[in-house]
Amino acid sequence: MAAALAFDRRWIYLGLGLLITGLYAFGSPEELPPAAPVQEYYDAIEKLPEGSIVMLSADFDPASAAELYPMFYGTLHHLFRRNIRVVGVCTWPAAPPFSREAFRSIAPQYHKEYGKDWVELGFLVGDDVAMGIIGQSLRSAYPNDALSKAPYDSFPLLRDVGDSSRGIAMLITISAGFPGILEWIPQLCTRYDVPVLAGTTAVQTPSLYPYHPRPLLGYLGSATGATQYLQLVAPGTPALVPVREENQRRMVAQGWGHLYIVALIVLGNIIYFRSRRRAA
Amino acid sequence: MILLQQSPAWIDLDPTAPPDLLGAFLICLLTLSIFSFLYRDNPFYKLAEHLFIGVSTAWYTLEFYDSGVKKALLEYVPEKVHALHDPALAAATEMGGYPVTPGWALAWRMGAVALSLMLLARLVRRDAWISRWPLALIVGIYAALKMTGETQARLVQQIRETMVSLWSADASAVTIAGNLVLVLGLVCVLVHFLFTFKRGRTLAGFSRVGVIVLMLAFGARFGFAVLGRIALLIQRISELSSYGQPDYSMGGRGWVATLLTPPWLVGGLIVLVLALAALSRRGEPEPPAA
Repeated sequence: MAAALAFDRRWIYLGLGLLITGLYAFGSPEELPPAAPVQEYYDAIEKLPEGSIVMLSADFDPASAAELYPMFYGTLHHLFRRNIRVVGVCTWPAAPPFSREAFRSIAPQYHKEYGKDWVELGFLVGDDVAMGIIGQSLRSAYPNDALSKAPYDSFPLLRDVGDSSRGIAMLITISAGFPGILEWIPQLCTRYDVPVLAGTTAVQTPSLYPYHPRPLLGYLGSATGATQYLQLVAPGTPALVPVREENQRRMVAQGWGHLYIVALIVLGNIIYFRSRRRAA
Repeated sequence: MILLQQSPAWIDLDPTAPPDLLGAFLICLLTLSIFSFLYRDNPFYKLAEHLFIGVSTAWYTLEFYDSGVKKALLEYVPEKVHALHDPALAAATEMGGYPVTPGWALAWRMGAVALSLMLLARLVRRDAWISRWPLALIVGIYAALKMTGETQARLVQQIRETMVSLWSADASAVTIAGNLVLVLGLVCVLVHFLFTFKRGRTLAGFSRVGVIVLMLAFGARFGFAVLGRIALLIQRISELSSYGQPDYSMGGRGWVATLLTPPWLVGGLIVLVLALAALSRRGEPEPPAA
């Protein structure tokens, strides 16, 4: 028992590292059945009429990009494939490089024109206050775009949005924490009646349960949700097939990593209760 | 996983291209340096930690300056001064969606600048009281802004969502069971936080169930936290393995080529240095664990 209690925790880290590396290197991609909120997320985008305007908010940073960037990437493919116009915004200062990379690489694949089919407005300082301003008047929040610094009214897409957020058919936020989906809901969605979809990190996912299915129509929770969503989008989008397979490969390692942690929790509890009984 | 069309150059300044060799070495060095903390605190970890803090501070400062000072003040003010003499620009001036004159917009912006400067009075002990005025304004406005939106989203809507039908004719058995768990769980948790009455056996029983519901919720949150952390670990391993491809090799064939890729070279260097440091410390007392 003393040996178990004095066990060096670094062996646990090494075990997890070797398990994950081995499974990632030698595991084969596995299909996951889509969860109901993921299917609803996909269906909500499918139901949008062509030409609708969606606001896609990148609310994450490099620390959460592993979970969230595949969601952002897949969602942008899905929107452009469906000929939906996209207004990109960011409320996290480290998000613009991710957003820019995705727009730059995906928009040309669908022959989308900047200013007409998509616009990048960039980062706006002010957290949830900034979200309130975006809801009240997108023109006041962003007098110029982020790429060309041209005035708001010089873009046909932004002229169609108009003054308030009522020209926005839907908000999609890929959110890592504060500010994110839990701030967008009160500041934009309930106040201006804008439907919302969200992709979030695993840590934030349980916070979304109370908001689903109203006002949150659907959500992607963690890397698992991202993988399930990519499975739904990839069949009509060849460019997404390698990304989907990469995520499916990761899910094999993810599943066994969980079992490893659960086994250690059970083992730790057995050792704890046995040592308590002995002490008594 | 990075899909390469051609071998990477040592330095490639095209931001849309896959990472060059120098970038690959830096990514591997910083990732493995952070992982080396799992062994013990060491100079590699310290280097990565300080670089991370420095780079993120610089990045955040730049973004906040760009959005909060450059656009909001340095570009906005000359634009509005110009609009004072241009009827077309003056007609397009607005604040929060409402049309205003450029002079009015400028006055409000200058008022905001004055309040921002007043906040800096905290730095002078004698005049620190001046900062309380803008601070009071911030607290008041923020409270009002939160109250309207949050009351609707987090209170009214949440209460409405808990008023579910328990015996709906067209609902499945699973839905009815879910609704029962929701309502009973909610009541029991609320009873647990009820301190108005003395707890008899009935209230204590409800409270006990409430504690179990809370524990289940915390357990689910912990599970999701583990999910997220493992996803991050897998992503780092995936990226490291990308740079273990022969395209990133310094030369050789087969397994030699793999060993001459950035993750193996950098990993080997870190292990070698830490092993030498451990050997040189042999016989010395161990420092207390962090």
